[in-house]
Amino acid sequence: MGTTTKIRRRPEAFNIVNGAILLLIAVACIYPFIYIASVSVSDGPYVASSQVYLLPKGLNFETYRYIFTNPRLGIVQGVLNSVFYTVVGTFVAVILTYCTAYVLSRKKFRGRHFIMMAFLASWIFEAGIIPNYIINDRLGLVNSRWVMILPGAISTFLLIVTRAYLESIPDELEESASIDGANDFQIMWKIYLPLAVPVLATTGIFYAVTIWNSFLIPLIYLQDKSLQPIQLVLYNLLINQDPHSTSLENLTLHGHQILPQNIQAATMILAIVPILFFYPFAQRYFTKGITIGALKG
Amino acid sequence: MDTIQRTTTADVGGPAQALTNKLSMRQRFWRTLRKNYLLYLILLPGLLHLVIFKWAPLGGLVIAFQNFSPFQGVFGSQWVGFEQFTKFLHDPAIPHLLANTLLLAFFTLLFSFPAPIIFALFLNEVRNRYVRKSVQTFSFLPYFVSSAVVVSILYTLVSPQGGLVNEALGFFGIKPIFFMAEPGWFRPLYVLINVWQTFGYGTIIYIAAMTTIDPALYEAAEIDGAGRWKKMWNITLPSISNMMIVMFILNIGQILSVDLDKVLLMYGPSVYETADVIQTYVYRQAFAPHGFPNYSYGAAVGLIQAVLALVMVVGANRAAKKFSDSRLF
Repeated sequence: MGTTTKIRRRPEAFNIVNGAILLLIAVACIYPFIYIASVSVSDGPYVASSQVYLLPKGLNFETYRYIFTNPRLGIVQGVLNSVFYTVVGTFVAVILTYCTAYVLSRKKFRGRHFIMMAFLASWIFEAGIIPNYIINDRLGLVNSRWVMILPGAISTFLLIVTRAYLESIPDELEESASIDGANDFQIMWKIYLPLAVPVLATTGIFYAVTIWNSFLIPLIYLQDKSLQPIQLVLYNLLINQDPHSTSLENLTLHGHQILPQNIQAATMILAIVPILFFYPFAQRYFTKGITIGALKG
Repeated sequence: MDTIQRTTTADVGGPAQALTNKLSMRQRFWRTLRKNYLLYLILLPGLLHLVIFKWAPLGGLVIAFQNFSPFQGVFGSQWVGFEQFTKFLHDPAIPHLLANTLLLAFFTLLFSFPAPIIFALFLNEVRNRYVRKSVQTFSFLPYFVSSAVVVSILYTLVSPQGGLVNEALGFFGIKPIFFMAEPGWFRPLYVLINVWQTFGYGTIIYIAAMTTIDPALYEAAEIDGAGRWKKMWNITLPSISNMMIVMFILNIGQILSVDLDKVLLMYGPSVYETADVIQTYVYRQAFAPHGFPNYSYGAAVGLIQAVLALVMVVGANRAAKKFSDSRLF
């Protein structure tokens, strides 16, 4: 009798402790975001005296109002730029990757192995940032919006993932459509595209997150302030703080004090929130993409 | 039905085959081109992308053998042979940069590799579905956020003026520390945020591997009287060992390439002593030079690093193939 209770009780204690520790780690993952969000909607003096550590104190949205009514800060422009790059860039990249992967997955297409190897070779041996810069400079991509869209439009990794998915669709589909008189373009667009939606979603999310979060490319190529994405605006506002840019000052609006800390926190939130819309899908499709990528390659 | 179809294909295939054999190479080429011209058309943009954005930069590497000047271009610049590489061998900054790169990569691997495994092992033991789901959802969030934001949050939290970390230290009577400007703190902070950013992502991979474990194994172990720890150690862990080996090897393959975004965001002259790595040095040669940008020297250093990285990746891939059926390419 005694042993049974022992066996029964020990796992329960383990479950509680284990669950508690894991939840604590989960909290450590989201706490910084909650803190930053709270700072962005708290009144300046509370922030300055470090009284905000979890929930907002002196709740107000004047910081956001200030950001949205003062275009000279460049924050709104940054968000709009990022949205533009992400939407257009993801669209272009998904289509281009799908079309390329489709052709490279057709067995009747000669030379598909050779072209695939050419992609792989450029993947495992990268030229590096300077030769890339030399070429992109020649192409007129310095201080051009296209630099956020074109060079990254085919990721070899996602090309492999898409091709592996398309290869898993039986060939009979193509054959029967071809007998019915459909040409290659119609088969690709009307028959395979609807079937490829899950893999398009996976690649789309990967591309969207990569473009939204990209930092090095705009840092190198986009000196023009009006073209910079929000990540770079945030960097200039908080980390870089170059003396030429308009520095933030303390100010009071509608009875609420707005400190540079408030504005910085609000900018971080604006650099996170738009991409969070993808988060619910991301979990599902990332898992798929990761497993395909890790296992099949 | 099956036989009929087979005979028809054979009938049609036979003469057609004979016909193609008679045609010359060129004629055959044009025939396939005409038959599949739409496929070639669909491939064209992707092919252009490959040539322009993936292969042309490789050609651009020739500047490593030149004294490249942007005004004279790749074709007009002076050729200097291996001068840039000789310079590399005599550059007093290089040994230190190499040590920094390897140390940073080593500490990253030391902590970032086991973190998701341990986390996944314990998460796998949680029976409550809601706890499991929410823990996984939250732990994945940092991976989704850009390095620019993560480093900005770090700056805010460890700021010597009112940052929460320094406030907490002050509570214990410790004077404010300017974490981001002290060389000794660079590596711990870099590794810390790297673990924080990536362990949730890694956990997904291991959890996926764990879901394929046959529950009968656990049941049999229970009958034999195995406890929870025994089951974790003897069933769960061996079942994901293949995945662990693959991930470890992939990490080894990437050991020469640190996260350039993150280092650029975190470092500054005051922490160059520990934070300056080969990639940042290359970056500064071209994009943040003291005098004129030295594209050729930067490209040469980058080329040497790329060759070393290639050796690592190919070696890692060989090893991965040996240990399991999974491989990178």
